[in-house]
Amino acid sequence: MSSTAQDVSGLPDSEKPLLTGNQTFASITATISGIVERKTPPIWYLALGAALSLLMVLFGSIGWLVYEGTGIWGLNNPVGWGWAIINFVWWVGIGHAGTLISAILFLLRQRWRTSINRFAEAMTLFAVSCALIFPAIHVGRVWVVYWTFPVPNQMGMWPNFRSPLLWDVFAVSTYFTASLLFWYTGLIPDLATFRDRAKTKIKKFVFGILSVGWRGGNRQWKHYELAYLILAGISTPLVLSVHSVVSTDFAVSILPGWHTTIFPPYFVAGAIFSGFAMVVTLTIIARKIFGLENMITVNHLEKMNKIILLTGSMVGYAYGMEFFIAWYSGNIYEQFTFINRAFGQYGWAYWIMVSYNVLVPQLFWFKKLRTSVPVMFVASLFINVGMWFERFVIVVSSLAQDFLPANWDYYSPTIWDVATFVGSFGLFFTLFLLFIRFLPMISMAEVKTVLPEADPHYVAPGTKGGHHE
Amino acid sequence: MSEMNKKIGKKYWRTIEELGDTPEYRQSVIEEYKRGHEDDENPWSRRSFLTLMGASMALAGLAGCRRPVDKIVPYVDQPEEVVPGVPQYYATTMPQSTGAIGLLVQTREGRPIKIEGNEAHPSSLGSTDALTQASILGLYDPDRSKKTREKGAEKTYDDFVTFWRERAEEFAADKGDGLAVLSEPFSSPTLGRLKQDFLKAYPRATWVAYEPVGDENVGAAIKAVTDDRAAAVYRYERASVILSLDSDFLQSESEAVTAARGFSDGRRMDDLQDEMNRLYVVEPAFTLTGGMADHRLRLPASHVGVFAVALAGELAKRGLSIGTVPSVSSPIPDTGWITALAADLIKAGNNALVVAGRRQPQWVHEIVLLINNALGAVGTTVQYFGHDATDTRVAELANLVDRMNSGAVRTLIMLGGNPVYDAPVDLKFAAALKKIDHTAHLSLYFDETSQAAEWHIPRTHFLEAWGDAVSIDGTKSVIQPMIEPLFGGHADVEMFALLSSGRDQRGHDIVRDTWRSILTTGKFDKAWRRVLHDGLLVGSAAKALPDRRPQPNKTWPKVGATTGSLSATNLEINFYPSHLGDGRYANNPWLQELPDAVSKVAWDNVAVMNPSTAEKLGVRNGDIVRLDVSGNALEIPVWTVPGYADFVLGLPLGYGRRFGGRVADDVGFNTYALRTSSNMYFASGATVTTTGRTYDIANVQDHNRMAGRPIIREASLEEYREEPMFAREMVEHPPLRSIYPDHDYSRGYQWGMTIDLNTCNGCNACVIACQSENNIPVVGKEQVGKGREMAWIRNDRYFAGDADEPQMLHQPVACQQCENAPCEQVCPVAATVHDKEGLNTMNYNRCIGTRYCSNNCPYKVRRFNFFNYVKDMPEVVQMAMNPDVTVRSRGVMEKCTFCIQRINRSKQEAKKEDRTVRDGEFQTACQQACPAKAIQFGNINDPDSRVAKMKEKDRNYALLGELNVRPRSTYLAKLRNPNPEMDG
Repeated sequence: MSSTAQDVSGLPDSEKPLLTGNQTFASITATISGIVERKTPPIWYLALGAALSLLMVLFGSIGWLVYEGTGIWGLNNPVGWGWAIINFVWWVGIGHAGTLISAILFLLRQRWRTSINRFAEAMTLFAVSCALIFPAIHVGRVWVVYWTFPVPNQMGMWPNFRSPLLWDVFAVSTYFTASLLFWYTGLIPDLATFRDRAKTKIKKFVFGILSVGWRGGNRQWKHYELAYLILAGISTPLVLSVHSVVSTDFAVSILPGWHTTIFPPYFVAGAIFSGFAMVVTLTIIARKIFGLENMITVNHLEKMNKIILLTGSMVGYAYGMEFFIAWYSGNIYEQFTFINRAFGQYGWAYWIMVSYNVLVPQLFWFKKLRTSVPVMFVASLFINVGMWFERFVIVVSSLAQDFLPANWDYYSPTIWDVATFVGSFGLFFTLFLLFIRFLPMISMAEVKTVLPEADPHYVAPGTKGGHHE
Repeated sequence: MSEMNKKIGKKYWRTIEELGDTPEYRQSVIEEYKRGHEDDENPWSRRSFLTLMGASMALAGLAGCRRPVDKIVPYVDQPEEVVPGVPQYYATTMPQSTGAIGLLVQTREGRPIKIEGNEAHPSSLGSTDALTQASILGLYDPDRSKKTREKGAEKTYDDFVTFWRERAEEFAADKGDGLAVLSEPFSSPTLGRLKQDFLKAYPRATWVAYEPVGDENVGAAIKAVTDDRAAAVYRYERASVILSLDSDFLQSESEAVTAARGFSDGRRMDDLQDEMNRLYVVEPAFTLTGGMADHRLRLPASHVGVFAVALAGELAKRGLSIGTVPSVSSPIPDTGWITALAADLIKAGNNALVVAGRRQPQWVHEIVLLINNALGAVGTTVQYFGHDATDTRVAELANLVDRMNSGAVRTLIMLGGNPVYDAPVDLKFAAALKKIDHTAHLSLYFDETSQAAEWHIPRTHFLEAWGDAVSIDGTKSVIQPMIEPLFGGHADVEMFALLSSGRDQRGHDIVRDTWRSILTTGKFDKAWRRVLHDGLLVGSAAKALPDRRPQPNKTWPKVGATTGSLSATNLEINFYPSHLGDGRYANNPWLQELPDAVSKVAWDNVAVMNPSTAEKLGVRNGDIVRLDVSGNALEIPVWTVPGYADFVLGLPLGYGRRFGGRVADDVGFNTYALRTSSNMYFASGATVTTTGRTYDIANVQDHNRMAGRPIIREASLEEYREEPMFAREMVEHPPLRSIYPDHDYSRGYQWGMTIDLNTCNGCNACVIACQSENNIPVVGKEQVGKGREMAWIRNDRYFAGDADEPQMLHQPVACQQCENAPCEQVCPVAATVHDKEGLNTMNYNRCIGTRYCSNNCPYKVRRFNFFNYVKDMPEVVQMAMNPDVTVRSRGVMEKCTFCIQRINRSKQEAKKEDRTVRDGEFQTACQQACPAKAIQFGNINDPDSRVAKMKEKDRNYALLGELNVRPRSTYLAKLRNPNPEMDG
């Protein structure tokens, strides 16, 4: 490995170094720990203040909801689910990227993941936290929502295991638990670094507890890496299962536009799509603010954009296939539902969905565009919005106009639907801001493994020197 | 429901004192609402405090939430025959204008809670209509007047008695000169007797009866043609060809309950060989009767008479002796309609029936009588019964008002009615009332007329007072009270007796006095008890008057003026009683929330016109327009319904009350403002100007067409005979298989229902019956507008065919009790589960309110409590609740249960007697109310049960059966019986 200034532009993608700026073990530790150890920047307080305000909006909306009833939302008789379920599916979808990056890409030996996995995993946890709020509060009697758990009781009443909502309860809570464990396990070596660098007693104590006695010994590393591998193995099917199960909320029903077998893969693709879009959005902001351009390089972002292009096209394929099947089935209800989606009362939402989710990612066919930070930032925002509208289209348009035209109605949200959704960003950003202030937002231990020093091996004379194989 | 409160939050006032909010007024309010109305005064009442406490607990921790428990105290002295929890039924009668309908009222621990029809009564035959069903709620209306008042100030009834005795003395001298009584029409023998007594005591006094919608024109025509005071009773069941001339006999005419029964009996197809009647309807608006028509002609109301003349001419041309029919130019361009109709009527002969609506003038009715006579229908499909009810006389009312203005009337006693609100606007009744020395008004509410009168006396509801009535065929019955007067009102008979004798007597004694002359054979007390038990005097029906046929040689009725052709600047407005009747039921929230059967608009009345007229006028749904006709004006929003005659507007009556009560006030628009004594039912020359403002209208059905889906399956009689299985063959689907094993339904009861769409006319009686039986909450206009109405059974209304000449179809949809129920499978907490008898049951206590069941219900019959809709229910209204049915709290899904409480009660009775439940032993509430007897319910495991036999029929089909949900409710396809000679 040469240690001169790198000119990587001529290299093929696979040859590009993952980190730029002549990083060493020490520089990595310094850069990442520095973010936390530096004096808190005023902008952080400002941001936290804004996030906490939104969080209060969330609490206020939920309080009013519990006091007054689900009627404060715009729901009506045909449309029994509205923004709450849309938000749930959207947040769960966003929560997909983290575990995918840390688990699946880990198993696939995608070493570029190391710069973004901590960040993405945190995002996953926070997004799933936001998601979990919605199914809990959307029920009519919030105070008995625990009946969905198989709690032994004197009546011998068990939940209905045939209901996809119950599957949801298990799938999402399992996913959350596994993601949390995975994230925490990954944090342990970095927490130990923090402990070692801590200057105050409290920090020493807290990080000491959190790092569970990590000393970086060989044996510890051996066990640690095995544990991490096992957790990755456990998490991998969960990545695929959780959104598949969420999709069964719809697919198991008999409603035209919901009752379709394409939903599990389509939802998983959509979830990864939206998850990566959110990671791109947040990463671009963070690397800019904290000057992490050398840790999270354009190369990283480009790789994520390629996944966005792939999954976005899968989603587009699913949109098309739904139409084909509706026509091919000969089922008049299906046919109506899909024509109605595109040209009916919610047609505007459908075209937002198609243009944002299918057309926007096509920009990433062009290298110039997929390596341009402003372009990808804007595109990722569009995709986030588009994916929200995908769920809106699925949930609302099918419900509003189903089998009997006499029941058809129009659903529009109230201020409380909006406030609850906006408020959920308050929770998300509050958690996120706390995370980047107090925990290492990039996995120091793992990033170091992509340095050449971490992988010393003999380079035959005459062959191209490389840190990659 | 603070949303609702916000809506009501606009300040309404009843008296000037209230507007001023003086301390005196506050004191009077406190006194008036001493009991049970703390909520109005104290923002931190027990109720709201508990609500907040409940919410705080819900927020603080999730455990231990229970609604407050009330203490229940058992009887100290057990009343005889009253077993707590066991319903008791008493017969009584509801007076209806000049007729009456016999009822059986279910009482629970002394509270009447549900009204059923009395099968033995000729005007009920066991069925009821929506108004009758809803009247039980009117009993418990907390807005009913509770105090006698003089000029608004509270007095006692004794004060009024004193007042009247002074008047009596005054008028005794001049034999009642200057004394007038304005009553409602009535048929009661007791009231008739007392009226005679009154007129004997005060021979120079005037007695006028007025009701805004009455049968005056019909009765006058019969009198003119037959020289008899008689009522026409139509035997629809005997008619094979029926022509309705602007007669909505299935819904808004008098005796609609029996008309619907008779019509359905003539329409029901038991098998392929059965015969079915044919209905022609000529009408300006689209009514339920028009919806059932095999041939329907849209014609302005003012052209209907000319149509009748043209028809008579055609009949005469074909050899019927109708006298010399004047020749008129046909009101319709294509005379093919009239010739085919005439041929069909003649073919039917004495099984033909022509009916004209009471909205039509007297001369049209005279022509109709002559046509019926010429056809030979009198004696078979038309019968005349002698009749001496006190009927509406608009001309006499006008005369009375003249005398009031001239000072000839010094004291006016108004017994019921609400003339200040509903008298013809040109009479300026309110102004005339001010010119009189003394006025008194007996009324259920302190309403518009009571406000204007000197004295107001609270009236009793018919369920809490003694009285009697005579049905249209002469059957006599007694009105017996079910409960002591809740608010201390005074019965009609007591007031009448006071007027005629000056004595304050008990209603029971007054009525018995009358009946002593009726029950002359045997012991009186025994016969009296028999009448009370049966609900009528058996065998008291009058003999029909078959001989008194109209005289064909009489002079041909003078044909009234027609209005020429209508246009955008010469519109015809038509007044119809709304489903609130003439407005007297406006404070009944069940009826307010019931959508109009045709326009599907709830909580408002609207000016209805067809879309092409609206287009020509440049107005759209919800636009507020100004209607001008003969110097009167009204602003009202527009609503379009296809099938109205061009340039015709339908204006439902009964809305826009100012002092009708908390529910009624300022709901809708007062269409009486346009109604004059010369044009009581329709008037032309109306113009429309747009105001540029719009109005939110709560309609419950946005889409009017079936979108090509096999929802209501229909065929012509001919097609049906060729293809008897058409309804089942209409849908092709792959084999239906389920991944779940079937339940075992081979044993025990298996409940099922059928609804015959061929006889259902969409009258909504089932909807209100269900609401009453199952404690269904009322949610208010705003919630209905959001699509949150709670009806467990609803009537879907579709239009089919040509946009200008549509057909209307109705389909009642309640929970279909699917065997393979999509709702059950998706509920995460198993709150909705299947029972052994095939019912799809709802466990309200277990429901957490995910609404997934509703989403997955293809019929969307589940209803969700988005708010605590019963939180603000006044305590007195709680007495109307059925104790067998849980009142649902917020956050809970609810739906039709096939009246499981009735099923279980019958099973208990059967078990006590060690037998099985017999077919027809009990009925569901909807089935029981249905005037058309379109609903059958029973055990489908019993092949001999009526419902099982219905399900065997070729027309039986499952709505959305292709989804493999296997509904237990099925429908019998609709048939129409068009005349093969006609193509339209």
